[in-house]
Amino acid sequence: MGADPVAEVTGDRPVGVAIVDDHPVVVDGVRAWLASEPRLTVLATGDDPDEVLRAAPDADVVLLDLRLHGRMALDKLAELSAAGRRVVVYSEHTDPETMLAALDAGAVAFLAKHEGREHCVETVLAAASDRPYVPPALAGAMVGDPRPDRPVLSDKEREALLLWFQSMSKASVARRMRISEHTVKQYVDRARIKYTRAGRPAATKAALLARAIEDGLVRPEEIGIYRSQAMHDRPTP
Amino acid sequence: MSADLDVPTDRAATRAAPAPQQQYGTASEPREAAALAAPAAVARASDRGARIVVVGIAWAWHVAIGLPAVLGVRTEFAAPAVVLGCWGLVAVAGAAAGILLLRGTPLPPWPLAGLLLAADAAVFAAVGEQHLFGAPNWVWSTLGWFFVLMLWGRRVVGLIALLTAHTFIALVAVLAHGPGTADLARFTMYVYGTFSLQVAVFVGGTTIVGLARDRAATATAMHTMAAERAAAERGRRERRDRLALAGAAAGRVLGELADGTADPDDPEVQRRCVLAAARLRRMIAESDDVPDPLLHELRAAADLAERNGLPIDLVTIGSPPPLPVEIRRRLADPLAGHLADAQGWARLTVVSGPDEVVISLVTPDKEGPEATGPPPGEYDHGPVQHLYERDGDIRWAQTRWRK
Repeated sequence: MGADPVAEVTGDRPVGVAIVDDHPVVVDGVRAWLASEPRLTVLATGDDPDEVLRAAPDADVVLLDLRLHGRMALDKLAELSAAGRRVVVYSEHTDPETMLAALDAGAVAFLAKHEGREHCVETVLAAASDRPYVPPALAGAMVGDPRPDRPVLSDKEREALLLWFQSMSKASVARRMRISEHTVKQYVDRARIKYTRAGRPAATKAALLARAIEDGLVRPEEIGIYRSQAMHDRPTP
Repeated sequence: MSADLDVPTDRAATRAAPAPQQQYGTASEPREAAALAAPAAVARASDRGARIVVVGIAWAWHVAIGLPAVLGVRTEFAAPAVVLGCWGLVAVAGAAAGILLLRGTPLPPWPLAGLLLAADAAVFAAVGEQHLFGAPNWVWSTLGWFFVLMLWGRRVVGLIALLTAHTFIALVAVLAHGPGTADLARFTMYVYGTFSLQVAVFVGGTTIVGLARDRAATATAMHTMAAERAAAERGRRERRDRLALAGAAAGRVLGELADGTADPDDPEVQRRCVLAAARLRRMIAESDDVPDPLLHELRAAADLAERNGLPIDLVTIGSPPPLPVEIRRRLADPLAGHLADAQGWARLTVVSGPDEVVISLVTPDKEGPEATGPPPGEYDHGPVQHLYERDGDIRWAQTRWRK
């Protein structure tokens, strides 16, 4: 692992990806998906996170199958996230509890295995620049979060998450909410940023938050007090 | 194409999709009320039996044993009128207390107890030394049972206090006559006799009622558990059967792909793969142990649409709260109607919380009018809102219930 694990990915070189999965057929499939995107390059693959990262210490993003050799690798996920590794979890376990637990443990994003190539490429590219990407399955988990200490989302953020989960089309959500697609994405991403305050702290969460402030997605004064965020419903320009 | 996935398209059958909804309809709703009502009913029945026994004992002593003894020696009492009068007074008071107890509206015990103790003292004073320990001194045997009757359902301390007062009155009477050792021994025996039986019946009755209530509650809980287990077991069996069916279909396609008899470029083979994958995915996503009626209806609709060749995803988040049949119908029926029109693929999602259930059906928007269901727009059906729109890309139907 490099000295600065959350080092910025520059535009000059492709994003290095490490794939950890215990099914070779899945590894090959994901590798084929990512190969079609010139901005991505797969550096190492395998079924052991430590071995894969030894082989590719400079990987910008780790694609981690949450279920390795029959057990959930949530503790490994937390360890990697705490060390600043940008981990994108992808799993066939798409029950909301698992997805939210992965976010709490510090995963940059959660991708359901059936969500396909487009979402996979988008998620990895967003993760590499510490930007949120919320695929529809994760949006469903967030909007249905039953935990009493869940982040407080504004009505618009909830509605955008719900409609995105239902339709899987931001254009359709935009038409329905009578706002631009860009604003839909802002609502969804802002909801995701609020989740960086749930669960234990992790370097990756801090990086997501910092980038969101830098991008103007959330204002620094909005951070920390969710009640006040719920009141400031207007997306930032 | 496998038999299970290759049922000819039948629009009428698809529209009938919500038909199985009644299967789980009302089974769970009366269960909780029954869980509370049954033990209470058993306790009431058991208590009523005990009351009848207590009233019966008091009256049997007073009338069958007390009265003949009093009448037989009535001239020998020191003051016969007092003894007979008190017998009548206690008979009237006891009858009133007994009848009201059996009706479930007992009299206030303490004034009645005062009256009985006064009668007790009067009888001890009027009975005379000769009959102090004999059957004609009816207060020995009878009064304790009337105390039990009056204090039924209350704490045993009250009964012990009244019996103690009764004992004290008797002791004063015995001492007044200048008793010998034999009289004191007899007194002790009588006191033991009046205390032990009455207190035992009183405590025993209360204990039996409590035990009956506990047993009934346990039995009800066990029945509820058994019913839930049966439902879960049925759900599991159904799921296993469907998994076997879906697994066999997927297995056949994979087998044919492996041995080369199926061509991956063949659109029909691709369609079979998509259908088999969609069904397996839906089944993996099922996580509820006891089938929720609303989800059950939607699954039935999804299964039917899929049998007609439509790849469909059903994603559920959270568990719906118990909803009346009418609300469930308004949530599920419009979507089943839209599902009948669906072509290409469908995505059915359910997001549930304690105060809100939102169901959505998204399908590709093809040219042509709606074959079933209303035109695009917003419809309000009481607490359920129904929204339907077409935007050129997708047809989007949503029903939403808010508490």
